[in-house]
Parts: sequence; C-alpha cells; structure tokens
Amino acid sequence: MNLLMRAAVIAALFHITPVVVLVKRPDAVQTLLPGADAYVAREVHLSAKDAHRLHEAVDWSPEDGVLVFYGGTAGATSVGALEFVRVDTPHGPIEVAVGFTPQGAVRGVVVTKATVEMKPWVLEAVAAGLTDHYRGLRSGGEAPAAAAAITSRAGNLAAYVAREVDKGVARALAAYGAFYNHVRT
Amino acid sequence: MLYDLRRADVRIKWLVTGLLATLGLSYVFGAVMVALYAGFTPRSVAATYAGPEMSMPMPPETTVAVQRPVAMADFAQPEVHTVDTKLLIQDTHVHVPMYGLIAAALGVVVAGLSLPRRWALGLIVLLFAAPWLDFAGMWLTKLASPRFAIVTLAGGWAMGLAYVIVAALAVHQMWLSRERG
Repeated sequence: MNLLMRAAVIAALFHITPVVVLVKRPDAVQTLLPGADAYVAREVHLSAKDAHRLHEAVDWSPEDGVLVFYGGTAGATSVGALEFVRVDTPHGPIEVAVGFTPQGAVRGVVVTKATVEMKPWVLEAVAAGLTDHYRGLRSGGEAPAAAAAITSRAGNLAAYVAREVDKGVARALAAYGAFYNHVRT
Repeated sequence: MLYDLRRADVRIKWLVTGLLATLGLSYVFGAVMVALYAGFTPRSVAATYAGPEMSMPMPPETTVAVQRPVAMADFAQPEVHTVDTKLLIQDTHVHVPMYGLIAAALGVVVAGLSLPRRWALGLIVLLFAAPWLDFAGMWLTKLASPRFAIVTLAGGWAMGLAYVIVAALAVHQMWLSRERG
C-alpha cells in the first residue's frame, strides 16, 4: 500500500498540465516589431551539420530542423525580426518570443505560452522584471542571465522558470546570430 | 464471499462512495480537458497526436532559407494543441501508473460487487484495457497512421463506460438494494 501511495504522489507531482496562452502571438508580434505593417516568414531548413552545430551550442534542435524567423517592415524600413522558441521542461513546455532590432540586439522578450502549472511562476518572474534584463543582448555576447538578476525579488519556482526562459533566449540568440542573415534564400 | 459490499460495514461503504465520487469528479474534468485540448472527433485527436512529425522530412545537404509573406491574421490563427513524441513519452510515463492505480481501485470495488464471475472478470478486463487502448491509440496515431485516433477515442469512452457501470452497480448494491446489510 505504501508503494501505491508513493506511486500516486509521484504521478501527481510529475503530472503535465495543459499549455495555456499567456500572450497571444499577434500581441507579441506587435510588441516586438512595433510599427511594422508587413511581415515575412523566413524558414531556415538546417542541414544535418548545422543542426548538429546548433545543438552542440545550445542543447536544442528546432522542430523538424526548421528555424522560423518573422521579419517586420514599416514601409521600406526594416523594424527587426522575432522568433518563437519552445523550451521543454519537466513541467511541460513554455514558449518564448524573442524580438531583435534591425541591428541585431534583443529588443524584447515575451513569454507567450506555459503550462497551467507554470503560469503563476512565469507571471511572478515577469512581475519581478525578468524580461527587462534581456534588452540589448547580442548573439555571441553576454549569455542571458536574467534569472540570477531576479532571485532576490522572486520565489524559487519563479527563479526556476526564469532559468528556462534564459535557455529560450539563449537559443534564439544562437539561432539568430548563426542563421538569420547568413543563409541565402 | 467474505468481501461483499452489500453487507459491508458502513465505513467501507462510505469509503467506496467517497472514492467513486472523487474519481467521478476527476473524470468529468478529464472529459472537459479532453474537449479543450484534443477534442472528441478522430480528426481532432489525430491533429493533436500525429502532428507534422508524420512527414519526417530529410535535412537538406546545405542549409537553405525560404521566405514568404505573412499577414497579421496568420499569427492569429487558432493553434492546434499538439503533443510531440517527447511530450507523449512524458505523458505516458506519468499517466499510465495513475491509470493503473485507478483501474486497480475500481477493480477492488468490482470484487466486492455481487456479480456473476464472468461479468466481474469482464469489468476488470475493461477497466485495465481502456487505458491501454487510450495510450496505444496515441502512440499508433503518432507512429503508424492518424487513423488510429479512433483507438484513443474508444479507450477514452471505454474508461468512462467502465467507471459508470462500476459506480452505478456499487451505489445500487451498497445503498439501494433490498439485500443490503
């Protein structure tokens, strides 16, 4: 009976709850590509070698080996680009939208999806200023470390989810730096 | 038989009633969750579990980019909730033990019912077969063909049906039957 109870507790603890939308994608696009009136989707199909390189760098392989960047323009002027990155955690997936300026610096980060379980942790982390710490980061530069910056203002679970968001931003930076402007269409 | 819910101590009857009520509540919310995230049609279940992985694209020789215009409306399109292989492994790992425990608990209730042996055995088989069908359908939908979504639906309905039969018989025999002790 003891074993059964333990199994039930373990199963309950590790139960994956469904994913909920925290910020709708159109709202994230408007936030991260402000003023854009036209958009393009740039799908980068990675070769096995490049996919391996990306995996080695940030421990991540995009779904089906395809990176999707969305570029925005206002008239003839580029507003920047953004990428939606998924991070799988033991508590289920989260999705992070990372926006870049035309110069390649991070303009902003929005957590767009999380599981029902992680939602309050994400909201707490964001309220503690998590996403403010990513602005200005560049590919090849300083690694995202916003989680460490909010630990004094957030609980353990918020800090935990912040580390997962750090991973998402690191993946977006690596993908953007290596493949956004360096692959011919 | 020593264990007969009709003549069981009132404490046992309340324990079984509480268990059935609690499981019933979780089943109702389970059904609502399925409606929200996977749906009750073979097509929607197939869309959830089969996903784009069915195509298994080969990586190109060299990295290539394809560009196409998108409208804001494309970002707003409702997204289908999908469960990829990693998530299905996780789901199987955490759900199957719990389903086993639920089937075992309901099986213990069945053992206390006054039923012909064959009916009792059939119910116990149904209790355990339903979750097997449920997850077999998910994996077959992902790995073999979206047509197997119907197996997942059959498993889900079988789970609900088995619960309703056990709960109805147990409540009737414990609290309503003339032969109750």
